[in-house]
Amino acid sequence: MSLQKPFITVGKSERRKDGRDKLTGKALYPQDMCLDNMVFGATVRSTEPHAKFTLDLDAAHVCEGVLKILTAKDVLGHNHHGVLFKDHEVICKEKVRRVGDPVAFVVAETEEQALYAAGQVKVHYELLTPVLDPEVALQEDAPRVHDNHSNLVYHYKCRRGDLKNVYENAAVVVERVYDTPFVDHAFLQPESGLAYKEEDGTVVVLASTQYPHFDRMEVAEAIGYEEGKVVIINPIVGGAFGGREDLSMQAHLALATIYTGRPVKMTMAREESFYAHSKRHPIKIKMKSAADADGKLLACEAEIIGDTGAYASWAINVLRKAGVHVTGPYEVPNVHVDSRSVYTNNPFAGAMRGFGATQVPVAYEQQMDLIGEALGLSPYEIRKRNIFRKGSITGNGQVLVESVPLERCLDTLQEAMTAEPMAMSPSPDVKVGRGIAVSWYGTGYGNGYPDVSVATIELCKNGDINLRVGATEVGQGSKTIMPQLCAEALSMTPENIHILCENTNDFEDSGTAAASRQTYNTGNAVKVATESFKKALLEEARLLLKLNSAAGLVLEHQEVYLPMLPSKRIHFSEVAKALEAEGRTLMVTESFTAQTVGMDSETGEGAPYWPYTFNAYGVEVEVQIKTGRVQVTKAWCAQDVGRAINPALVEGQIDGGFVMGLGYTLYEDLGVKGGHIQNNKFAKYILPTAMDIPIINKYIIEDPENTAPYGAKGIGEPVMVPVAPAILNAIADATGVRIYDLPATPDRVLKALVAHRNQNVL
Amino acid sequence: MLELKITVNGKSYCEQIPAHLRLLDFLRETLGLTGTKEGCGEGECGACTVIMDGKTVDSCLVLAAQCQGKEIITIEGVAAEDGTLHPVQEAFLEVGAVQCGYCIPGMVLSAKALLDAVPHPTDAEIKETVSGNLCRCTGYDKMFEAVKMASEQKGAK
Repeated sequence: MSLQKPFITVGKSERRKDGRDKLTGKALYPQDMCLDNMVFGATVRSTEPHAKFTLDLDAAHVCEGVLKILTAKDVLGHNHHGVLFKDHEVICKEKVRRVGDPVAFVVAETEEQALYAAGQVKVHYELLTPVLDPEVALQEDAPRVHDNHSNLVYHYKCRRGDLKNVYENAAVVVERVYDTPFVDHAFLQPESGLAYKEEDGTVVVLASTQYPHFDRMEVAEAIGYEEGKVVIINPIVGGAFGGREDLSMQAHLALATIYTGRPVKMTMAREESFYAHSKRHPIKIKMKSAADADGKLLACEAEIIGDTGAYASWAINVLRKAGVHVTGPYEVPNVHVDSRSVYTNNPFAGAMRGFGATQVPVAYEQQMDLIGEALGLSPYEIRKRNIFRKGSITGNGQVLVESVPLERCLDTLQEAMTAEPMAMSPSPDVKVGRGIAVSWYGTGYGNGYPDVSVATIELCKNGDINLRVGATEVGQGSKTIMPQLCAEALSMTPENIHILCENTNDFEDSGTAAASRQTYNTGNAVKVATESFKKALLEEARLLLKLNSAAGLVLEHQEVYLPMLPSKRIHFSEVAKALEAEGRTLMVTESFTAQTVGMDSETGEGAPYWPYTFNAYGVEVEVQIKTGRVQVTKAWCAQDVGRAINPALVEGQIDGGFVMGLGYTLYEDLGVKGGHIQNNKFAKYILPTAMDIPIINKYIIEDPENTAPYGAKGIGEPVMVPVAPAILNAIADATGVRIYDLPATPDRVLKALVAHRNQNVL
Repeated sequence: MLELKITVNGKSYCEQIPAHLRLLDFLRETLGLTGTKEGCGEGECGACTVIMDGKTVDSCLVLAAQCQGKEIITIEGVAAEDGTLHPVQEAFLEVGAVQCGYCIPGMVLSAKALLDAVPHPTDAEIKETVSGNLCRCTGYDKMFEAVKMASEQKGAK
């Protein structure tokens, strides 16, 4: 890699392709779109967590403007959907399993009429005993959430080494229980969509999603159409974070447009949005760690239980990821982990930023600080003695062959934090403290599942390039960096690369915009496809230039030319023109498949993810000891990225991930009680505002990964993962009090402070 | 129904509207200006922020009927007629402060209203202004940077 030419666009903070439209109000989200002759839909949702039900539609049917009320019997195809298990019903037939389950879909001339009529639908419930605690749900006699199915959805096991005699011989053993709640993505754009039929009978559904091709398959199944007769359009996504992977309204809208023959639109109010999409799995972790006198970890034993609510969604993958990551990014010779996901009648949990790997550091990074404290080792020192380095082996027996700059992240963090002395406490009632955390995150689908991305590069008539790729823009910037990757391989700047990624007719399935997989996986597909395209383009050019060989031909400013005789040059548009004259086009498709190896179901041995991304974050906090209020005043974030394709976008992710982590730690809790979400509005579900954020010092650490496009790894989720434990460790440093359950709201911190004071007084 | 006389982005309108119509829906549905967004419907998120007679308001909490004779500026009215971006818009682009974009119209208007009133705001003033607009993507940091950058431009108005 020495003597490498400087990059043309990789590493540049190119302006976002979609920035201008978003800044001028020109960007159209589904709620901004209208069609002639349009009608409106409204969902009727269950108000009970577990019940058999019947519907009385008489009053609703005679409401003004009502055109059709869809119930389960109106589902034309299979009445099911789901990202892995098809355990959701499109419209519930006779049983509801959670508050918010859809029982009917009303279609009327106006939005007001649809909402009114939906309120007139009478639902008669025959209540069933709900099961609302995953530990209770695992008991023999617990109510079954799904008939003929155990409440245990999945059990991950890791058995490495041997725990026998480990604890007796250890210098320190730390055992604690940690707990995290249901939280929400709370993306700013509530769900909205439109569906209509084209003249040829194709059903088009326009709605924000993370995976258009998957939605197409699910909608087609629900309406009984072939996939080729369904189109999904994904215009702009107003935030996702994992909350737009399960179907929300797409199948309802498709059915409604088929029945009414008119375009149907629906926009959810925020209160409904909270019920419509998945949640983060609440996860409880019982963790026992052992270390020797030198601070070397000897054992990690963990029992993890996740509440997946009424539907599985990503229950398997989330609790698997939690199980793999609970060891922390540390060399541990003896690992014993059980991680289970369980059905209950709570709101359903699925993908949310970090996907199991966000919950477990609340445990493993506090365990590390506790071990360090017991041995008199600083947080940096205890970690340095155990962190992964290149060549380390994980708890699953996977060798981390390269791109493991965790020590560099930790050193960068230590240097930065040491250079700035801790602030003095502003008053006797305020305690100041600092905390750090390191973390790891395995990107991609993982566990040997074929993680395939496909990209198509097409030469346009005017010499520009069409990049057809299923890379969904959810705000992270894929519409900007995919063209950058393509441009780099064609030695041009990205302005004249046009990305087509919104209409399923325009590109091939490239997998989901989740698992932080787009940059690495789809980026690789883009790079490989572009390189193949370049080869084909050079071949066409050399023929047109009447050269014997393509050797020595160079691309520059959308021209192919021969440096040894520069008059031998041809513009891309001329190549296109020549091809057109022959009735040909230049279009190349390539795919990239990630490499992971599925784990053994008894031992956990395998290579579940690749690449992993690492980081080390630190914070300074102020704790008001009379109120329990915690303010994060400073943050330092050292983030492993492989290579920053677009540094401004990387920084934006660090900022956003940090603040989402801050909300998770200090404010957010859906307050699920009796299966109901108590905090399903922004007045009660508290999100961080600009007043809550600290100064965020960011350090981009580049250690290119050799199978990655220009060395770049995914960072969209990793940036959230170490935040909660860094803050919790800082609270402990400031006050001597440790918080084991999220969120660390003022009442909980105060309660812990009072208990601590009372204990010390005794 | 009542008759509403209102100016939006410098243009005068006279429309028959139902009394209960929110200003947000007047702008989006009646006038077709969809740049102003609805995020929560309860005045918590600020996505529906517009400028009314020089002050920012949550248009989901204001009835159109309350805007008789008022001057409203929405995101569509921020850039110049010829398309030249306002310094706030330009700064947001330059710094990379846009991600999913849903909070952006409200955020831009809050920033513009601040700079119109206080050409060189302190960090604390910027923070407080921006705190009325929720953003789930950006973590706010680059937005501060952008507003500061815009305030340092000559003739930022």
